[in-house]
Amino acid sequence: MKQDIVGMIYTGERVDELQELTRYRATAALPMLGRYRLIDFTLANMIHSGVKNIGIIMQKNYHSLMDHLGSGREWNLHGKRSGLTILPPYMSRENVGVYEGLLDALHTNSNFMRRSTERNIVVSDSNVLYQVDFRDMMAQHLENKADLTLLYTKDRNVRRNARGRYLELSGDLVTKIELDPTIPHFENTYVGAFIARRELLIDMIDRAVASGQHHFSREMIAQMVQERIYRIGAFECPGRVWMVDSVESYYQANMDFLNDDLRAQVFRDDKPIWTKLRDEMPARYAGDSLVTNTLVADGCLIEGTVENSILFRGVVVRPGAVIRNSIIMQDAVISRNAEVENCILDKQTTLRDNVRLIAPRSYPLVVAKNLTI
Amino acid sequence: MQQHKTCVAMLLAGGQGSRLGILTRHVAKPAVPYGGKYRIIDFPLSNCTNSGIDTVGVLTQYKPMELNSYIGSGAPWDLDKSDGGVFVLPPYSKGEEGEWYKGTANAIYQNLAFIEQFNPKYVLILSGDHIYKCDYAEMLAYHIKKEAALTVAVRPVPWEDASRFGLMNTDSEGRITEFEEKPKHPKSNNASMGVYVFTWDKLRQYLSEDERDPKSQNDFGKNIIPTMLAKGEHLVAWSFGGYWKDVGTIESLWDANMDLLLDSPPINLHDRKWRIYARNVGEPPHFASPGGVIKNSLVTEGCEIYGKVVHSVLSADVKVAPEAQVIDAVIMPHAQIGRGAIVRRAIVAEGAVIGENARIGEEEGDIAVVGSKTVVAPGHVLKAGEQLGD
Repeated sequence: MKQDIVGMIYTGERVDELQELTRYRATAALPMLGRYRLIDFTLANMIHSGVKNIGIIMQKNYHSLMDHLGSGREWNLHGKRSGLTILPPYMSRENVGVYEGLLDALHTNSNFMRRSTERNIVVSDSNVLYQVDFRDMMAQHLENKADLTLLYTKDRNVRRNARGRYLELSGDLVTKIELDPTIPHFENTYVGAFIARRELLIDMIDRAVASGQHHFSREMIAQMVQERIYRIGAFECPGRVWMVDSVESYYQANMDFLNDDLRAQVFRDDKPIWTKLRDEMPARYAGDSLVTNTLVADGCLIEGTVENSILFRGVVVRPGAVIRNSIIMQDAVISRNAEVENCILDKQTTLRDNVRLIAPRSYPLVVAKNLTI
Repeated sequence: MQQHKTCVAMLLAGGQGSRLGILTRHVAKPAVPYGGKYRIIDFPLSNCTNSGIDTVGVLTQYKPMELNSYIGSGAPWDLDKSDGGVFVLPPYSKGEEGEWYKGTANAIYQNLAFIEQFNPKYVLILSGDHIYKCDYAEMLAYHIKKEAALTVAVRPVPWEDASRFGLMNTDSEGRITEFEEKPKHPKSNNASMGVYVFTWDKLRQYLSEDERDPKSQNDFGKNIIPTMLAKGEHLVAWSFGGYWKDVGTIESLWDANMDLLLDSPPINLHDRKWRIYARNVGEPPHFASPGGVIKNSLVTEGCEIYGKVVHSVLSADVKVAPEAQVIDAVIMPHAQIGRGAIVRRAIVAEGAVIGENARIGEEEGDIAVVGSKTVVAPGHVLKAGEQLGD
């Protein structure tokens, strides 16, 4: 059904806690669950909500993201009446192409918003994995007569980090916002997505930028909530939410999908998650392979032992090799009798014969892309 | 604007493939799944793309719906071009005329106008019956070098089997001197693969002449090649040495799947320089559960394995319930194997549901087959060689 919502995804988050994983890629381009990248889940949310016009704000290291998205064909976003618009940073008189925060980014790319014809807009961060139907959110937004509605969750699993934004609610309206508390007072965590009427949002952004603000939630929304000039609504995200903002949370988000119920919730036949395709043959089990509780993508060759792990496309596990509790990205090779435990091996890493790489459970070790050990 | 293509491929995909029994009752043979994530037609289409041939006509006739939607715009094979690409060509009515494709040659004859619009120099004729990787560009180069009217791809077959094939007897230069269809006493073991490169003018000429002959069966092997030989045309044989597997029977389809499980498979589907493209289903990675066992098998994305899978090929989105066993079997997309069921030496077609504790196939004997979307009752026993489905 035709929806009157244009989408924007901000991929400029700077997350130092992801260490090597985001040194050469945007957080949005983080490989997830064997064959996806993090942004695929946000794109799927928008597409399944009838959003057909999506702008993606790029900031740093966006090569891998561009490569991933291409023309948008895999998401059916390459038509005449729909589309994916890549919004790379650029230098102008007002800005140097580096965004201080989301507000900056939206302001710099306000041409995309002005040029769109949809009545409403949904904007989402990209370092978060959640599932929502924005049409439901829109319905509540309208019923609430809100000027802007924030997506929040009560999922306690996302409260680990100290950089959260927490909401006090009265009914469906936000009454207070709490930034980076040591101990949060409110149980509602802002998920990093909101909807508003497009023209009103452009107006809000212009005013906020004119008064010297850079950050969307930390400055603009915080001020709006405080001054109570606008009605700021809140919509609860159904189901689980994963903030991917550290190596630990990245690791945990992936491992959580070894759970049958969570997989069934997120991967639904009626709402496929699209991603860039790679024509690989099915995974091949040979020799004395022994694989339990593991997600395996196409193109893998498994001759060794794998437990509680996630294997991306084209991973090779040689005879005698053992992988436990690990995330092994695309085209990595675990040679004969090598052993990996509690590790995250980035793309194209190679462990030579007999190498043992064992990290403590509480602190997964990241091995950077292309390394041979 | 007059287009010009060096070579246009015509893929004969209209056959029913009746020897595949219930597997082709609802789909044409080229649409039959193979090797976990492919369909038979992926091989000739991918070969075209990998050989640099970007214009392919696919001639359909029998149950074309599934094949049509599978081919779609041709994007999976990189064949969605504005100056070529893949075209599905069903029979169509032509004013007073209009008829089904009477034979392989007639099918091409009815589409001469299609070929004409690309103004090619050569036409490659393919069939959708075999699993193989072949560089048609090499064959075309040979055809050009030999200045032939027709080049026939041949491959050596064991002498004892030779009398089952159409054989090309050649002189020392590779020129075809004689064509024998299934002779009792073979003089050569060069079997025709049904892959031809024609010089376009010759193809047009002989197809038109053949069409005027009311006694002709309008078949390349039976009519066109013998006529060209008789007229003294320059016909050459091009030898193909790679893996080439007929998948026209239940046994051979099962066999071709099992070939992929050999220690060193005779056909490398992992070849980054010669990828076999397929329409992807967009499923998550497959899940090997804590209680499941998977040995010596191919498993495709979307599968969930809670039972035991040994020496089998599983297509996308196959569910194997706890305590179920799948041994020496080929399971096609979206099939479900119920708790405690045992599937052995069998082919389970797309979307079939095997009830709890059912027994499909036996350790020895012919391959058992469950047809597409067939629901097998709990406890049902299907013996070796039996077929179930509508």
